[in-house]
Amino acid sequence: MKALVIGAGEVGMNVAKTLAADGQNVTMVDKDPGRCEHARVELDALVVEGNGASPVLLRELGVSGFSLVAAVTAVDEVNLIAALTAHQLGSGTTIARVRDPELLGRDDPFATGILGIDFVIDPDRAAAADIAAALQLPGAVSVEYFGDGELALAELIVTDSSPLVGKPLSERERPHPAFIVGLTRDGVAQLTRPEMVPRPGDHLLVTSPRESIRSAVAHLAGTVSEVHRCTIFGGGKIGLALARRMEDVGVHVTILERNRDRARKLAEKLPRTRVLIEDGMAEESLIEAGAHKADAFVACAGDDRMNLLAALNGKRIGADLCVATVSREEFTPLVDAIGLDAAFSPRLITAEQILRFVHTRSVKAIHLTRTGFEALELEVRPRAQLVGKAIGETGGLLHHCRVGAILHEEGVSIPQRGTPISAGDRLLLLGPVGTVSEVEEAFAGAG
Amino acid sequence: MRSFVHPLIGFTVGGTLAVAAGGMLVCGVIGLADGRAAAAFLITGALTLLVAVAMISSYRRGDPKEAGRAGPVTGLAAVTLAWVVASAVGAIPFLVAGTFESFLDAFFEAVSGFTTTGATLISDIEAQPDAILLWRSLSQWLGGVGIIVLVVAVAPVSGPGVQRAFYAETTGMTSDRLTPRIIDTAKIITLIFLVLSLAAAVAYLVAGMNVFDAINHSMTTIATGGFSTRNLSIGAFDSLAIESVAIVFMAMGGINFAFYWKAVRRRDIRPQFNEVVVYLALLLGISATVAISLVINDQASGFAGIVIDPLFAVTTILTTTGYTTADFDSWNSFATATILLTMFLGACAGSTAGGIKIIRVMLLSRSAIQELQRQVRPRVVQVLRVGKHVYDEDVRRAVLGFFLIYLLVFGIGVLVMAASGLDLVTAISAASATLNMIGPGLGEIGAIENFEAMPDLARAASCFLMIAGRLEVFTVVALITAGVDRVRESLGRS
Repeated sequence: MKALVIGAGEVGMNVAKTLAADGQNVTMVDKDPGRCEHARVELDALVVEGNGASPVLLRELGVSGFSLVAAVTAVDEVNLIAALTAHQLGSGTTIARVRDPELLGRDDPFATGILGIDFVIDPDRAAAADIAAALQLPGAVSVEYFGDGELALAELIVTDSSPLVGKPLSERERPHPAFIVGLTRDGVAQLTRPEMVPRPGDHLLVTSPRESIRSAVAHLAGTVSEVHRCTIFGGGKIGLALARRMEDVGVHVTILERNRDRARKLAEKLPRTRVLIEDGMAEESLIEAGAHKADAFVACAGDDRMNLLAALNGKRIGADLCVATVSREEFTPLVDAIGLDAAFSPRLITAEQILRFVHTRSVKAIHLTRTGFEALELEVRPRAQLVGKAIGETGGLLHHCRVGAILHEEGVSIPQRGTPISAGDRLLLLGPVGTVSEVEEAFAGAG
Repeated sequence: MRSFVHPLIGFTVGGTLAVAAGGMLVCGVIGLADGRAAAAFLITGALTLLVAVAMISSYRRGDPKEAGRAGPVTGLAAVTLAWVVASAVGAIPFLVAGTFESFLDAFFEAVSGFTTTGATLISDIEAQPDAILLWRSLSQWLGGVGIIVLVVAVAPVSGPGVQRAFYAETTGMTSDRLTPRIIDTAKIITLIFLVLSLAAAVAYLVAGMNVFDAINHSMTTIATGGFSTRNLSIGAFDSLAIESVAIVFMAMGGINFAFYWKAVRRRDIRPQFNEVVVYLALLLGISATVAISLVINDQASGFAGIVIDPLFAVTTILTTTGYTTADFDSWNSFATATILLTMFLGACAGSTAGGIKIIRVMLLSRSAIQELQRQVRPRVVQVLRVGKHVYDEDVRRAVLGFFLIYLLVFGIGVLVMAASGLDLVTAISAASATLNMIGPGLGEIGAIENFEAMPDLARAASCFLMIAGRLEVFTVVALITAGVDRVRESLGRS
């Protein structure tokens, strides 16, 4: 399969890297010589310097031969024109990153129907959706859904009051169907073993069917506090989209925004949200915003450093769950180090969403880079090596991965030793980053 | 030849005279059937029509574009002058027919008519000729539609000057443009008015009025005017059916006319919808409050006394109509105080009602609450919002300014009334009843009284307050300010 990625920014690089690692022929186009140089070093791909929206260049590259074109530059209009041109020239699936919802909404039938763009992705809205999903699951710091939403994979932090603390995992009570797949301690991710003893502050990766994830996470994390009050630091597009979602589910939202005009816009657009002018991160202004009594504090201003500091300050004055959006990968390790509960990267989320969309038919991939785990949803083809085997007895076919859940026609089941695997099942595989894609062979039909 | 007056003023005044002349001629014809006062109307009408035709044709000879090119002051002057001239000319038949002997009294009656106030100086209304009664009702109907609206509806002129005049006359903060062309908007308003009046007339007929009473009352109900053909107003009919019809159509007259049009044309009615809901809620809420106070004080009994009387009184006051049934002046002082305060609320913006208007009251209360909230959270960003509609900060300023000037004009009105020799309750209620275009007040001008107890000074002040109230004070006050400025300039130059 040939894939064309336009834009070598963080989103483009992530998408290209993963596609290349999947064994696809990736071509990367960017008009900036510096970024092209960087991409040449980083990527196992053909890197072309030029304007990705140019029909001349696209025709030269033979765009009709590509089965995927992802236009993910920083400029909406360039992405739209590039995707439209590629579509007109006969390429396969087209994806455009569009940040301005007024230009083209994500679910706008106009995009797919008339314009022929298969997938429109807005990083800010995607990030807001992810944060909102996590906030709406008490105890969890992030949550992803698989198998058409039937299976949830949540990350939670063990608290002092968690029933898991101080005894081996094998002795835990199991009131809810849930599987603790991975444990991250001090930034080191490992698959769980029965003798492991969780400690407060550990991050756990848990799978559970959709209907029981709520109670499972609340039970395991040891907290049941739902988010009723949420303070959002930074009223940019993520802040606005997040506030809108939280407002809709009845959460009391307060937004702190520095820019006066922007603050007024927010107040106009969010009838049930309190908007405050933020002048510096002074404790006084955070307390006026009610951050000290907030169940969740989300820092999503434009600047990574500011977000980290604000979230830290929120934690200090007593906000419950403190998360920040962090765009640059080099800051990610800091999140744990300074004691924040979670970080969300809009660009990584965008890359993930694109990859999930691309893999829609047979494979769904997601990278949980911050916890150090990787997850992949794979279908067991008829006559695949795995057919007829049972969980725990696969004879090394799954290498270092673990089956986190099985999706079959009757629904989601949590695997136990001895659960048989049959053709047509879809398995959620989890493992430390880099281990999951190695096992794809075991799923393919023989010959 | 260049005329002394601005063509816009010539045109609006000429148009106004034509409208008034048309009304007088209609009344004259009715007078012929009645055999009384026909000559007064036919002669005055014919003469007025001549002057009007002369003014309009002289305007037509000039540059038609000139009329459109008018500054703000010219626009305001044109509107105010149109209303004063209409009232002055409208007063003549009263004098000729012998209803009044003094011009001030006749002028008062005409102003009260055109501004849809409904305060009267006639003690024995029933003794008046049919033509006079019809003229009173018709003047309220014409004033209700709006004189400039009528002029624009029949004469095709447009331009910024005309628009300014048009908007200065419409009540409320923003005029809802229903159509791209202002002439079409004017036609639609007139049409809505006609349809509603017709419906009211039929309803009154069915409820038991005779044809003449039904036509007169339908005009003064929809215009929320309040002139009646009977000494005891609606109370004279002593019929629950008629009172109920009056309540329903007064309430309908208090709703923004744009609302009806948008509802019929299935346009977006949400901007007005919130105001209408609050309006109806206030109507029922205040009525219930008054009813409870009546029951507690043992001043009402039976369905009519407990339900209909308070509802009628509150509807007539809130819509600033001014019909009366029960003598609310004799109710307990809590009920009368409630009635007095209700006078200021007014009905919806864009209706014929006077007062501050519900939407302004809503915005004022929101502003007040927000100021209180700001004390607790100085950094909070506040947006003036009704439902989903967000108002600009300019609107907040305009509403606060309006409220202040309104109170100021009211205060001065009370002082002048008191200076003329009225007692305190009468003075306060007189200023309120005229500025808010209601009609009856309390005390010596109460529900079962008329304005005859007023000294001449108070009558003159009432005329000013009624016109100021109809044009929503800004127009008149701004005009006075501009006049003062001009005088100051000319003094400075010399």
